[in-house]
Amino acid sequence: MRPILALGLLSLAALLAAGIAGLWPRENPVDPDPIAQGWGVANAVACVVLGMRLWDTLFEVLVYVVAMVGVRFFLGTLCWRGELRPVAQSPLLRRAADLLLGPILVFALYVAASGHLGPGGGFPAGVIFGSALLLLALAKGMERLSAELYEPRLESLEYVAAVLLLSLGAIVLILEVRTSAAFIAANLLIALEVAIGAWAVLHRFASARGEV
Amino acid sequence: MIAALAGVLAYFALALLGIVSARGRETAVLAVFAGLASLALWLPGFPEGFVGGLPWGIAVAGDLWALAFWSLALFLHAAVILHAWSKDSLRHALITLLVATCLAGSISRDLFNLYVVLELSSLLSVILIAKEGRSAALWAALRYILLAGLGMIFYLFGLGLVYGRTGALAITALSQTEVWDKPLRIGAGLLLAGATVKTGVFLFGLWLPQAHGHAPTEVSVLLSGLVVKLGVLALARLAEAFPLEPVLLALGLLTGFGGVLYALGEKDLKIMLGHHTVSQIGYMLLGLGLSAELGALLYLVAHGLFKGLLFLCAGEAVEAGATRSIPELVGKVPWPAALGLAVGSWAIVGLPPLAGFVAKNYLSLAQPIWAKAFLFLLSVGTAASFAKLLTLFRGQGGGKFGGIMLLAMGVIALGLWGILHNPAVLALQAWVEAVLAVGLGFLTYLLVREKRLPLPQFFLEHALLSVLLATVALSTILLIA
Amino acid sequence: MESLSGLGLSVALALLGIWTMVVRRNLVWKLLGLNVASGGGILFLVALSHRPGVRPPIVGLGPGPAADALPQALVLTAVVIHFATLALALALVILLTEYRHTQDARKLEEGSV
Repeated sequence: MRPILALGLLSLAALLAAGIAGLWPRENPVDPDPIAQGWGVANAVACVVLGMRLWDTLFEVLVYVVAMVGVRFFLGTLCWRGELRPVAQSPLLRRAADLLLGPILVFALYVAASGHLGPGGGFPAGVIFGSALLLLALAKGMERLSAELYEPRLESLEYVAAVLLLSLGAIVLILEVRTSAAFIAANLLIALEVAIGAWAVLHRFASARGEV
Repeated sequence: MIAALAGVLAYFALALLGIVSARGRETAVLAVFAGLASLALWLPGFPEGFVGGLPWGIAVAGDLWALAFWSLALFLHAAVILHAWSKDSLRHALITLLVATCLAGSISRDLFNLYVVLELSSLLSVILIAKEGRSAALWAALRYILLAGLGMIFYLFGLGLVYGRTGALAITALSQTEVWDKPLRIGAGLLLAGATVKTGVFLFGLWLPQAHGHAPTEVSVLLSGLVVKLGVLALARLAEAFPLEPVLLALGLLTGFGGVLYALGEKDLKIMLGHHTVSQIGYMLLGLGLSAELGALLYLVAHGLFKGLLFLCAGEAVEAGATRSIPELVGKVPWPAALGLAVGSWAIVGLPPLAGFVAKNYLSLAQPIWAKAFLFLLSVGTAASFAKLLTLFRGQGGGKFGGIMLLAMGVIALGLWGILHNPAVLALQAWVEAVLAVGLGFLTYLLVREKRLPLPQFFLEHALLSVLLATVALSTILLIA
Repeated sequence: MESLSGLGLSVALALLGIWTMVVRRNLVWKLLGLNVASGGGILFLVALSHRPGVRPPIVGLGPGPAADALPQALVLTAVVIHFATLALALALVILLTEYRHTQDARKLEEGSV
């Protein structure tokens, strides 16, 4: 089987190379600056993601929500087996987590709120926030953290954020409201969404690992 | 356009609210009404427009495909709600999300938007298939993720090549470009491969029969009736953008006959129906390949109705009989399910005057003689395979009948509408052909009943390999043709 | 022509990922292969938006023409979709392992046919 596979992959590579070689000479793309300014933002990518192609982004957020529903459901059916061995708890780690948590949160907020002006946006912000949660989980242990972050309420918050995002999509796409305020709101909502999802993944995969 | 967009958004929002409030059933009913209202508002269709505006907005249009898709989706969703009323709230909410995805996909005329919609639909299908938690279903779902994921990688590469060459993602813009050179040909081949994997076309990984067969009843109804059609729709859009007709014709023949061959020897009721879904997709691809777009569209709707009916009744029968094997089910099928199976089989083998007959005739109307011959042979094969079910048509005891009745009425109504709409269908020749095909099929069944065809079984790595090889072959064919 | 290295790397990643997907029998490896290959697809789109001498598509950031903003935006969507798929698939693998006590694709398949 391996020779056939190698042959297939080589021919795929040859096809792709032929296709790529045929792309030149390439025309210059549309100048994004006037379009971005027309939407009242500086970051053209944000203008595409949260403006012109917001319709796509709504589905993308739904993909994320749906995957989190699936992860919660499937791993929720597994019962906890045995005791969770906590990660080595050192005072150094706890101290560092206490010190770093605030700055990381502020940074995540900054990235979300300034996504329409420069690099950044809701998704990176959500992931940064998720990494803060990971740090906390390492420092405090998963069980204590999950006792503090009550999950069902977070879960409903996630769905409510998704519904709010859909309504925002209706405002931007159907009523054609074009202000930077819509971008900031969308970025913050997406950040909230992603952060909660990140927590769900972290928590479920760490706690419901079962026993093999 | 605004009405359609608002309808889709409302559908999604209601589904999400259904998850939060744990009242998935009620919100599903509300969503169907919202969808109907939205459909009524945009009813004759709407011209192509760009959500978000030019130059990068997403093209949507309410054409005949969207209209047919919306009607089918809302009808099937209503039938499923009626049938699965007692199931849990989360399942109803997820099904609502799945239907909403199909609604969104049917109006989309943008390559990347189609990609996102296809991915969303496959994630939802995976969760719904595996939700019952039996390990066969889990495995079928995981297999589906891997194969579909591989297909979608090819789709991304194809999208990149097409966009790099033309700078356009909208179907209309692509169909208007004059270029048809190397990158576009290869890109079109890769896009086609990605979409066909999702559609479950034969040889592009046989994930479909297992996945549809192991899913819970109401989920297989929607998967076979609706979600697969989303892939067919993507193929139709691609065929509009690029000249793909000959390739689609060949794929249609392969799919049609391959599916029937596998179905002939299959004893598991639901998996046999899954094989037939593969085979019936062949009809639709044939329609696209023969440029009989209307025929393909009518077939899509008709198949959605009668295969939905068949899966619904098969699920009922399997639940009542506590076995999936056809010989063991004899005498254990409840009456409504038995009648539904009879109506569905009557329609799928193409006997007049039901939906299958009308759709097959629209497909073969004004086609060359060899195409008619192939369609006739396919009907014979289908009839031969469905002859197995004859013993199941005798019912035993009562059961749920709401959803079954709704779908059966749909099948009958579509057939009668087609006959009244185009009296050419009523020609004596067509009736004779249909009856002859079924008769020949029955004879074939008597001949091959005891034989098991030595068909290759695809393990996962073979399926993955065949997806790769078929992709390479498709792109090469498009490149040199 | 600078972007050729990116394009070449993306094709290489896709090949590597597909090879892993087919050859390895362990499901986790297969999913890793899938992820590497989709990384290739994403890199392909990013590399396509690059031209020699372009600046990031942000208003007022340096001289010269801006890079194509559309593929970069598409990539953002594709990344999230792949992440979601991977998370769901891994959850399914955990559940399968729990029920069947193996992650070997061949054994799982033979057990369920």
